[in-house]
Amino acid sequence: MKDNSYAIKIVNMSKNFKLYYDKPNTLKERLVFWNRKRPDDREVLKNINLEIKKGETVALIGINGSGKSTLLKLMTKIIYPTSGKIYVHGKLTSLLELGAGFHPDFTGRENIYFNAAVFGLTKKEIDKRLNDIIKFSELGEFIDSPVRTYSSGMYMRLAFSVAINVDADILLIDEILAVGDQHFQEKCYAKLHELKKKGKTIVIVSHSLDSVKDLCDRAIWIYEGKIREDGNVNKVVDDYLKECA
Amino acid sequence: MLKDLYKYRELLKTSVKKEIRGKYKGSFLGVLWSFVNPLLTVLVYAIVFPFVLKNTQPHYVTFLIIGILPWTWFTTSISGGTACIVNNGGIIKKVYFPREILPISIVTSGLINYLISCIIIIIFVLFSGIGLSKYILFLPIILIIQFVLQLGLLFISSSIDVYIRDAEYIINFFVNMLFYATPILYSSDLFPKKFSWILNLNPFTSIINGYRAIFYYKTLPNLENLFFVFLFSVIVLLIGYAVFKKLEKGFAEEV
Repeated sequence: MKDNSYAIKIVNMSKNFKLYYDKPNTLKERLVFWNRKRPDDREVLKNINLEIKKGETVALIGINGSGKSTLLKLMTKIIYPTSGKIYVHGKLTSLLELGAGFHPDFTGRENIYFNAAVFGLTKKEIDKRLNDIIKFSELGEFIDSPVRTYSSGMYMRLAFSVAINVDADILLIDEILAVGDQHFQEKCYAKLHELKKKGKTIVIVSHSLDSVKDLCDRAIWIYEGKIREDGNVNKVVDDYLKECA
Repeated sequence: MLKDLYKYRELLKTSVKKEIRGKYKGSFLGVLWSFVNPLLTVLVYAIVFPFVLKNTQPHYVTFLIIGILPWTWFTTSISGGTACIVNNGGIIKKVYFPREILPISIVTSGLINYLISCIIIIIFVLFSGIGLSKYILFLPIILIIQFVLQLGLLFISSSIDVYIRDAEYIINFFVNMLFYATPILYSSDLFPKKFSWILNLNPFTSIINGYRAIFYYKTLPNLENLFFVFLFSVIVLLIGYAVFKKLEKGFAEEV
C-alpha cells in the first residue's frame, strides 16, 4: 500500500561532490591529464533519513556550509543523490534563487509568464493569477517596464510574488526572505502564515531564527552533513544558539 | 516523461518562441534572417557550382533550395543546439524543469522555421515552372522522420557537450563533412559509383531525396528507404533519450 501521509521522504541518502583542483573540461585536458589526481570526493550529506509530513512547516538551520542548501536542491531534483532515495508527493516549487529565468530585456509582465512557465504553469493558470501577482509585488506601473531597469528590491519582489502564487503543495525556500524592505518582508511572512494555514508544506532555510520560531513547528539542525537534532522548533533553535555561543 | 512534458507545455511554448525570436534579436532584419541566410547560401552555390560541375540539373537554384533548406534545419539543430544545455546553465542550476525541453524546443523551432521556408520552396517550384503535385502530401512523413532523427542526435550531443566541451567543435566538423556526403549540391546519381555506399549509409540521403521526389521530380518518394530511415531514427531517439536521462543527473553540477 502506498503511504501518502508524507510530502517528502528521504531514505539513506548521501550526496558527494567531486572536488576538482583543476577541472578538465576539454577533451585535450581529459586525455593529457588523465592520470592527474583523481578528484576528491567530499561527502556533503551523510546518510540522511528524513520524513516531512504534509502540512508541516520545517526550518533547516545550521552554520554555512553544513549542507542545508544542498539538501533543498536535492529535494527539488536540481541535483541527484549519490546514493539513497528521495520521494516527493505533490507539486513542489522551490525558491532557491529568485528570478530564475528572468529575461532582462522583457517587461515585468512578460517575465511573469516566463517565470511561471518555468514553474510548470500553463498560460490559462498564469492569466488567472496575473492580477494577484502584480498586486502582491506592488510594482504598479513599473510592471510594464523592462526588468533591467528594476532596482534589486523590485526584482526580488516580482520574483517572490510569482513563486508564492504558483500554488504548490510543497514550498522550498532558501534564505531569500531577506529581500525587500521591512514592509515587504512582513508581507511575505504573512503570506507564508496564510499558506501554512491552508495546509501547505513549507521547508525553509533561514538564519533569521526569530522569524523561523514564529513560522515553523519543527526544526532540523544540520551539522557537517548530518542531522544533529530534529524536533520542536524552540528546543532545536535554543540548542543551536547555545552551541554557537 | 510525456506527462511531465505535458505539464510543462507552456514552458516548451515560450522557449520555442524565445528560440525563434531571440536568435536574431537586435539585428535590423530580425527573424527574416532565418530565411535570408539560407537563401544567401543558395546564392553562393548557385553561382559557384555551375562552373565546377559541367552539367548541373535543370532549375538548379530550385534544386538547391529544396536540399539546402532542410539541411539548414539540421545544422541549426545540431551545430547550433549542441550547446543548449551549457548555455542554459544558469537556469538549470536554479530551478527544476524537465531538461528535455531545451533540446526539444531547439528542434521544434527549427521545424517551424523550415515549415515557413517551405513557402519559399513552393514559390520557387511554381515560378520555375516545375509546379506542384499531389505527392506533396508525403511532406509530413518526411518531416516526422527528420524531426525524430535530429532530436535523437541532439539528445546525445547536447548532453555530452556538458561533460566534454569539445563536442561542439567535433560535431561541427562532422556536420560539415556530412554536408558533402549528402546529395544536396548534386543529385545522388552523380556521386561516384565506387563510393555510393557512403550515400546509402547516410540517413540524410533518403530524407533529402524524399524532399526532392515530392517537390522537384514530382514522384512518389522511395518509401522503402524512408521506412528504414524511420526505424533507424526511432532507435537513435530511444538511445539518445536514454543517454540524456543518464547524463542529466549531473547537469547542474557540471555546467
